[in-house]
Amino acid sequence: MNSTQMNNTIDKLKFLTKWRYASSILSIALMLLSLGIIGIKGFNWGLDFTGGVVTEIQLDKRITASEIQPLMVAAYQQEVSVISASEPGRWVLRYANIPDENQRPELLTVLAPLQSDINVLNSSIVGPQVGQELVEQGGLALLMAMLCIMGYLSYRFEWRLASGALLALVHDVVFVLAFFALSQLEFNLTVLAAILAILGYSLNDSIIIADRIREQLVIKPQWNITDINNLAVKSTFSRTMVTSGTTLLTVVALWIMGGAPLEGFSIAMFIGILTGTWSSISIGATFPELLGLNSDHYRVIPLPVTP
Amino acid sequence: MKPKSKKTLLNHYSQWKYWLLISTLVILFLSALPSWYGEDAAVQLSSKSSHTLSSEHVYQVLNQAGISSKRIEQKQQNVLVVLQDQNQQMLAKNTLINEFEKQAQVTLSLSPAAPTWLLNMGFEPIKLGLDLRGGVQFLLDVDLDLVFRQQSIMVGDSLKQFVRKQHITGVSIHSGDSAEVTVDLTLPEARGLIRQFIAEQYPLWQVTGQKNRLYVALSENEKVKLTNLTVQQNLQIMRSRIEELGITEALVQRQGENRIRIELPGVQDPATAKNVIGATASLAFYPVLENGSVNALVLKDQANNPIYVARTPVLAGDHIVDARAATGDFGMAKVNISLDSAGGKLMSDFSRDNIGKPMATSYSEYSRNSLGKSQQTTKVISVATIQSQLGNNFEITGVGSHQEAQQLALLLRAGSMTAPVTIIEERTIGPSLGAENIVNGFAALALGMSLTLLFMACWYRRLGWIANIALIANMVMLFGLLALIPGAVLTLPGIAGLVLTVGMAVDTNVLIFERIKDKLAEGRSFASAIDVGFDSAFSTIFDANFTTMITAVVLFSIGNGPIQGFALTLGLGLLTSMFTGIFASRAIINLVYGRDTRHAIKV
Repeated sequence: MNSTQMNNTIDKLKFLTKWRYASSILSIALMLLSLGIIGIKGFNWGLDFTGGVVTEIQLDKRITASEIQPLMVAAYQQEVSVISASEPGRWVLRYANIPDENQRPELLTVLAPLQSDINVLNSSIVGPQVGQELVEQGGLALLMAMLCIMGYLSYRFEWRLASGALLALVHDVVFVLAFFALSQLEFNLTVLAAILAILGYSLNDSIIIADRIREQLVIKPQWNITDINNLAVKSTFSRTMVTSGTTLLTVVALWIMGGAPLEGFSIAMFIGILTGTWSSISIGATFPELLGLNSDHYRVIPLPVTP
Repeated sequence: MKPKSKKTLLNHYSQWKYWLLISTLVILFLSALPSWYGEDAAVQLSSKSSHTLSSEHVYQVLNQAGISSKRIEQKQQNVLVVLQDQNQQMLAKNTLINEFEKQAQVTLSLSPAAPTWLLNMGFEPIKLGLDLRGGVQFLLDVDLDLVFRQQSIMVGDSLKQFVRKQHITGVSIHSGDSAEVTVDLTLPEARGLIRQFIAEQYPLWQVTGQKNRLYVALSENEKVKLTNLTVQQNLQIMRSRIEELGITEALVQRQGENRIRIELPGVQDPATAKNVIGATASLAFYPVLENGSVNALVLKDQANNPIYVARTPVLAGDHIVDARAATGDFGMAKVNISLDSAGGKLMSDFSRDNIGKPMATSYSEYSRNSLGKSQQTTKVISVATIQSQLGNNFEITGVGSHQEAQQLALLLRAGSMTAPVTIIEERTIGPSLGAENIVNGFAALALGMSLTLLFMACWYRRLGWIANIALIANMVMLFGLLALIPGAVLTLPGIAGLVLTVGMAVDTNVLIFERIKDKLAEGRSFASAIDVGFDSAFSTIFDANFTTMITAVVLFSIGNGPIQGFALTLGLGLLTSMFTGIFASRAIINLVYGRDTRHAIKV
């Protein structure tokens, strides 16, 4: 590549710089907003984490929630949430567990005035200690994953590139969490699994751009970092779009066809993939630039000739 | 990389690589195949005695009840009835219990529906998790605190006795609140004596503390050992009880430090299962009377021989605090038993008067059978001769092999030290919901897969079909591996992992293809672009997959069943996608485009 060609390429990519900076500012603003939302709204924790009883039943389609609710409240002496499930006539009942089995009213007897042959589709009783443990384990798992990834990144990349990827990762997780806080969708174990999968996935995009940046820094030491980043973003863009596209397609398939149990998972993955793609450019590629990454950090240093 | 050899071998895979590729794919394809056929509901009859059951008789009984069977297999003393209709499984079981209760144990079971030649090769269908199959799951908590407290009471009691006997003054001993014994003393001389006593009598215990206060506690090592023993013994008890329930496919396994997970596929009524799981066991020592004595209790031993014992036991198992198998003189197996102080007194009085006479140890279990009736089963597990006066700690010899001694120790602890078990989680998934989950999951997989295949074919055209072959091979391998790996279970989140893998697996090919495009744009020939493209994409592919692998491993370690299923398919999916995306697709590309030296072609 001669110098005119080089300058041409650099000029052609100049417009990207502005866009990248704008997206960074937007990302940071969104992240702060997300943290605020999480702080204010909190999560709608699922049964896995809180403990309690969840039963899904099939009733006659004509029976309404206002008929079920009073019977349940009278029998269990507490607030009972009655949520309509995916199909008409299907209800999800959730309430705190009554530990003493002898005092626990039988659900079928409680609802007998409404219908005699109730079909119980599934039921879960989770003790409070299990939920507490799972919260701890889940948090620990998230932390462990982060630490392992950090270790691997700092081993493979220069610290500026590594922290860019890591910040992008935090951005994605915070954003998905904020969505769940805002929408008050149930945060259950499959959502946690999705968050961890997002950790791995979002990193893919950042790593692939970081790889390119590293490669170009070595090949084109005379370029300045802004132009290298523009080139790296440009040359990986089509791959990023294709992979994110196919993954989004399959996640949408899961969302449409997977049924209620996988709904939270699909939504979390969907948002995670979108922000993962976005943040790999807005943060993953741009942040190292702010930290002053330049080609010196990847210059091949000749080994000292001491015996 | 030597340029010379590179030139001659550009885009060439040696023959053995193709053989490796083809044989791997064929084996995993065969392994994946039985899952396609699924499983049929079945009922198994295992004969209790030596005479065989007649399959014609079974057929007639079922026919009369209007239950149609696909086939009835006779294997030695067992008869397996494979049913036409899954919904008739419970009906068939009850019908057969009514008819064959005396002769056989009737259990629910599943039978692979794949052709026999496939099954004969050792391939089996993928095991499905409860969320896909329907059934009941329990999580039990083993209360270890109580075990540790019991142990501390035992040591505390015997320390109190020692102090009293030795007339040591100014000592106050406190035990039972926690796992350790607290000893407060005013005279420093007592310290040495107490330390010495513990070291001699309870070598597994450690004394810490200074001046006026000593703590006596099991060493960390021993605590772990005791925990493991207690949980294992509970596992053993649960397994044998669930066998009684008649569920062959049940899973009983330890989860974490002190949890037991029980999965009972096919069970719809948690109440019955709960009765059986919550049963209690006990143990007693009896003086043995002569055969044929009147006014005696007749118990059966393990070989069903009658043993005549006194009506009242010397002492019951609630006095036993520990039992361990050990090796005695001349390498003989024995079992060391520790009693609490009250039990020690009873045993010492009895044995003093009965030296040279036999004593029987019986094990009984209260449980409810599958019909809800409470029943007690008692059997004599050993008869031993009393050699000398016994105290708090004594040993039983003549217990057979070392393995049998281990077993006996386990049973003895089972009757006494068994930590209370509480059900802390209970999940029931109806069979219709399980079936619905399977249908939904696979519909999502089919849709995701076809969208991806279509997209790749349209976007990359020339190379797209290679990516598509790699993707299909990837799925075949994944299913094959899931069926092949022992203990691998497919759950609903696991299917989600499969669907996600489809979307992410093409990434490997996309990365390679984009590199090839770049290289073509730089003016290389197609063949050389392929070569360089694969090489330069490898480290990126590895980096990207490695981080996802980290999260898969971490997820697996959370240890929750369904989530483990997700971690498993995600992790395996990464491995297979690297294999098919790099190796398999390269093998095809080498064959088809490896010699294509054209420049400036569009891919």
